[in-house]
Amino acid sequence: MVDAATRSSPPRNRESGELLVLGVESTAHTFGASVVSSRPPYVLSDVRSQYKPSKGGILPREAAAFLAENAPGVVSRALEEAGVGPGELDAIAVSLGPGMGPSLRVGATVARALASRYGLPIVPVNHAVAHIEIARFLTGLRDPLVLYVAGGNTTVMSHVAGRYRVFGETLDIALGNLLDTFAREAGIAPPYIVGGEHAVDRCAAGGKYVKGMPYVVKGQDVSFSGLLTTSLKLLRKGFRLSDVCYTLREIAFSSVVEVAERGLAHTGKDSIILTGGVAANRILNEKVRLMALEQGARFEPIEARFCGDNGVMIAITGLLAYAHGVSLDTPRKALIRQRWRPDEVDAPWYPLTLRDL
Amino acid sequence: MVSFDAERLIEWVRSLELVKRGAESEIRVGSFMGLEAVFKLRVPKPYMDPELDLELRSFRTRREAKAMAAAISGGVRAPRVYAVFPSAGLIVMERIKGPLLKERLQVHGDHGHLLHEAGGMLARLHRAGLVHGDPTTSNYIVAETGMLYLIDYGLSSFSTSIEDRAVDIHLFRRALESTHATIAQEAFTNFMEGYKRVMGEEAGKVEERAEEIRLRGRYVEKRRTIWGRTL
Ligand SMILES: Nc1ncnc2c1ncn2[C@@H]1O[C@H](COP(=O)(O)OP(=O)(O)O)[C@@H](O)[C@H]1O
Ligand SMILES: [Mg+2]
Repeated sequence: MVDAATRSSPPRNRESGELLVLGVESTAHTFGASVVSSRPPYVLSDVRSQYKPSKGGILPREAAAFLAENAPGVVSRALEEAGVGPGELDAIAVSLGPGMGPSLRVGATVARALASRYGLPIVPVNHAVAHIEIARFLTGLRDPLVLYVAGGNTTVMSHVAGRYRVFGETLDIALGNLLDTFAREAGIAPPYIVGGEHAVDRCAAGGKYVKGMPYVVKGQDVSFSGLLTTSLKLLRKGFRLSDVCYTLREIAFSSVVEVAERGLAHTGKDSIILTGGVAANRILNEKVRLMALEQGARFEPIEARFCGDNGVMIAITGLLAYAHGVSLDTPRKALIRQRWRPDEVDAPWYPLTLRDL
Repeated sequence: MVSFDAERLIEWVRSLELVKRGAESEIRVGSFMGLEAVFKLRVPKPYMDPELDLELRSFRTRREAKAMAAAISGGVRAPRVYAVFPSAGLIVMERIKGPLLKERLQVHGDHGHLLHEAGGMLARLHRAGLVHGDPTTSNYIVAETGMLYLIDYGLSSFSTSIEDRAVDIHLFRRALESTHATIAQEAFTNFMEGYKRVMGEEAGKVEERAEEIRLRGRYVEKRRTIWGRTL
């Protein structure tokens, strides 16, 4: 099924002690594969293929079918671009959760097949942890507070006593979900993202603040469902689209930045990273930058292309874990975990990053 | 009240000694009509729309002062409020000297009684018709006298609903787990014992709901959604 096996790779001189890991991402709408080395330049390839619904939201089965169709091609291109034959790999890292069952199964199946065929160990990777690890790798911030914002996640995390602990999160819907649902219901999406800009950002241009929309922060947690309903209600009442978009975005972004700010104050961490799909948003980055400046914390934005789901983050995390003795003794144990929490994962490599190996 | 110029007041407060930067405020100490006082100033947040920022700061300042007064009359140990200036985002209050509960828990030893008392104090607040909104170990002070104080009512609200009370319990538990991971379980048990002792019968329902919230929020992976569709 994976034609990468039969394709010839251009020869690549391998340094002694160098580790090579193939990372496979397949938790939702993106199938990504990447080969990462323990030596510079680290990232040898990065191939992805993303399912985009033409109208409405994502359909899990349709998404999984799309991923399954594209998986073999993506894996073989990742190996080819890296100039690495599958037999040269040290391990295969795969994101086994959290995520959508049908999509997860595609990645797990691909990883198991390759692992059995080439006798390679599988390294299970938690998707949320991988978003953190790629941000730590790219920014060089070793012990940051983490603001993880994506379609299905809005979480403030920090590493305490061997694991990433959840400090705060959304009590209902996630930040990405809020923006996307609003955009769809307001008739301004899909497409959700054009030229790196979200439909809500596009429509917020020139908008003014509308008083009285709900801003909900409870301790370290945020809540967006009231904001979503109120925004849609105001639109129906004839409020200007640009004003509602602007205010919705202001409130949503400000509240996540505020809980991150509280997290910094509470944990005493002196740096912060922003990661996950919504981390690509320029306005949100600017807000985090201003907050960090005020708090005297360091902040380094990460490149937009590494915010969304990708195979590189899985390979990076897998390599770190593998170098610290984490791997499954048989591919059969590579079982998906739809609800796998980041605080169930030991992170023995912390605070090292790939650059320190 | 004597009329005042918010800008000049803030300027004067900012000349006082800064002792702490809280999650959303600057804490300074000084003298207020001869009393040793804490000046809690909510400063503008540069990342917020100015109108939203002002709305939030004055709202929270007003609510915090109100909640502190109500908490004290409900038998909760909280700093006394000396003066409030909502449009300046300023509260002047009694100064409580001593380490935070968070700092105390980081020093080895038996902290059972402190946690027990912390739970009892939250219950007393709940019985007074309030929820705290941010009950972490940074928001309790262990006074030099040995007595525990509950501070920081900026996110509190007047509510007697089981859900809101349970959110408080959930927040405290998570604060323990994220900041005091190694002692979290035992600490939470002690805390809940104190809570139940004061709360009585009703505590059971609150505890149950807190567990539900934990599953709802924390295990967020259950609710993963993509592009607005819950999966
Ligand atoms: N009345 C007080 N007496 C002594 N210290 C205080 C008092 N109020 C606040 N503090 C100190 O300032 C810190 C921040 O105050 P807090 O009210 O919690 O503000 P924030 O909402 O910014 O967290 C507290 O953790 C505590 O150390
Ligand atoms: Mg506080």
